[in-house]
Amino acid sequence: MNGLLSLNRKHIFLADDEVVDPKKYLEESCNPKCVKPLLEYQACVKRIQGDDSGHKHCTGQYFDYWQCIDKCVAPKLFTKLK
Amino acid sequence: MQHTVSTWNTHFLSFIVLLIRSFPQSSPSPISSLHSPRVDLVQSVNQMVGGGVIQQILRRKLHSQSAATPVLSWFASKKVHEDAAGSSGVRALALLGAGVTGLLSFSTVASADEAEHGLACPDYPWPHDGILSSYDHASIRRGHQVYQQVCASCHSMSLISYRDLVGVAYTEEEAKAMAAEIEVVDGPNDEGEMFTRPGKLSDRLPQPYANESAARFANGGAYPPDLSLITKARHNGQNYVFALLTGYRDPPAGISIREGLHYNPYFPGGAIAMPKMLNDEAVEYEDGVPATEAQMGKDVVSFLSWAAEPEMEERKLMGFKWIFLLSLALLQAAYYRRLKWSVLKSRKLVLDVVN
Repeated sequence: MNGLLSLNRKHIFLADDEVVDPKKYLEESCNPKCVKPLLEYQACVKRIQGDDSGHKHCTGQYFDYWQCIDKCVAPKLFTKLK
Repeated sequence: MQHTVSTWNTHFLSFIVLLIRSFPQSSPSPISSLHSPRVDLVQSVNQMVGGGVIQQILRRKLHSQSAATPVLSWFASKKVHEDAAGSSGVRALALLGAGVTGLLSFSTVASADEAEHGLACPDYPWPHDGILSSYDHASIRRGHQVYQQVCASCHSMSLISYRDLVGVAYTEEEAKAMAAEIEVVDGPNDEGEMFTRPGKLSDRLPQPYANESAARFANGGAYPPDLSLITKARHNGQNYVFALLTGYRDPPAGISIREGLHYNPYFPGGAIAMPKMLNDEAVEYEDGVPATEAQMGKDVVSFLSWAAEPEMEERKLMGFKWIFLLSLALLQAAYYRRLKWSVLKSRKLVLDVVN
């Protein structure tokens, strides 16, 4: 349990005995697949930057991005869990 | 995509239902028979449009899908049907206009609020999903441990007893030992007084708060719901609870959550009172499995799924058995029917010209 890199990549340990949450890891690795919605979201953030009215928000683009990530992560996540 | 198809189907079905309802007119009461037929027609169109509008409003609130085009074309075809009765057609048109305006105004309100329904959760491949798949009982055991150490401080599970855990997640001795750790109020005794005693297998899991008011008071007005049936009490419960527990993220730009609430995209509205509870290594599993956030989420949802549907394994076995047997019975019945009817179905009629 101390600093082992499991052969079947089920448990991802770093050298200093830290565990990496597989969901976070997969969400990062799925990022390249969801570049388009991410760019849309960032464009939206830029668009509303100057706004002070408090009515503008980027929930739509945020949801699109996370929906893409979730769709990518969901089939793979449980293979990494016990 | 499936979501879209189901709403088209429900729209289509609602049109068919309304269409069918419109045709037969119930026999008029003695008083209403004095009215001219044109007034009856207006009344029926009124009911139709009213019923149609209300149903559409409800569907719009539920699905927030823009379906203006088929609705308009449907209304147009209805108008053609009803126009046969002269001046009542003008009234019908006026009602139509009112209905359509109402519809269109609702569409703008509903479509603006996707946060209202929360981000749709993905479907995870649960090990107990298959037609003959059982629960992962090791996962249930770990999940109970997570519940006990993380969730039980705020959430009750008052429909589960310690004895329910025997044979599912713990042995009888383990369950007895766990029950004995809690204090239960019992009584009255022979002197008429209530007393406390250590728990037994027959006792329910302990409640963190005495009642709902105490729970709300301790949690800023929000009531942590009882978890005994939560995976059945929420749409797509298992996936929803897992997504919710592991889905705490920073809010999108432009959204600010007030003090005391936390942002969670899966929660309807986005602002949930519960803070992020699952953090890596929050629990140390007995079996040595690394307790990452996702692992704890999976285990606790397995536990909650079992708690809501403990009969699942037996149900699947029974279902498989009876569907198989009834299919055989169907084949037998079909053969028998065809056997008996063969006499009639193989009749021949001879047309004989009598000379």
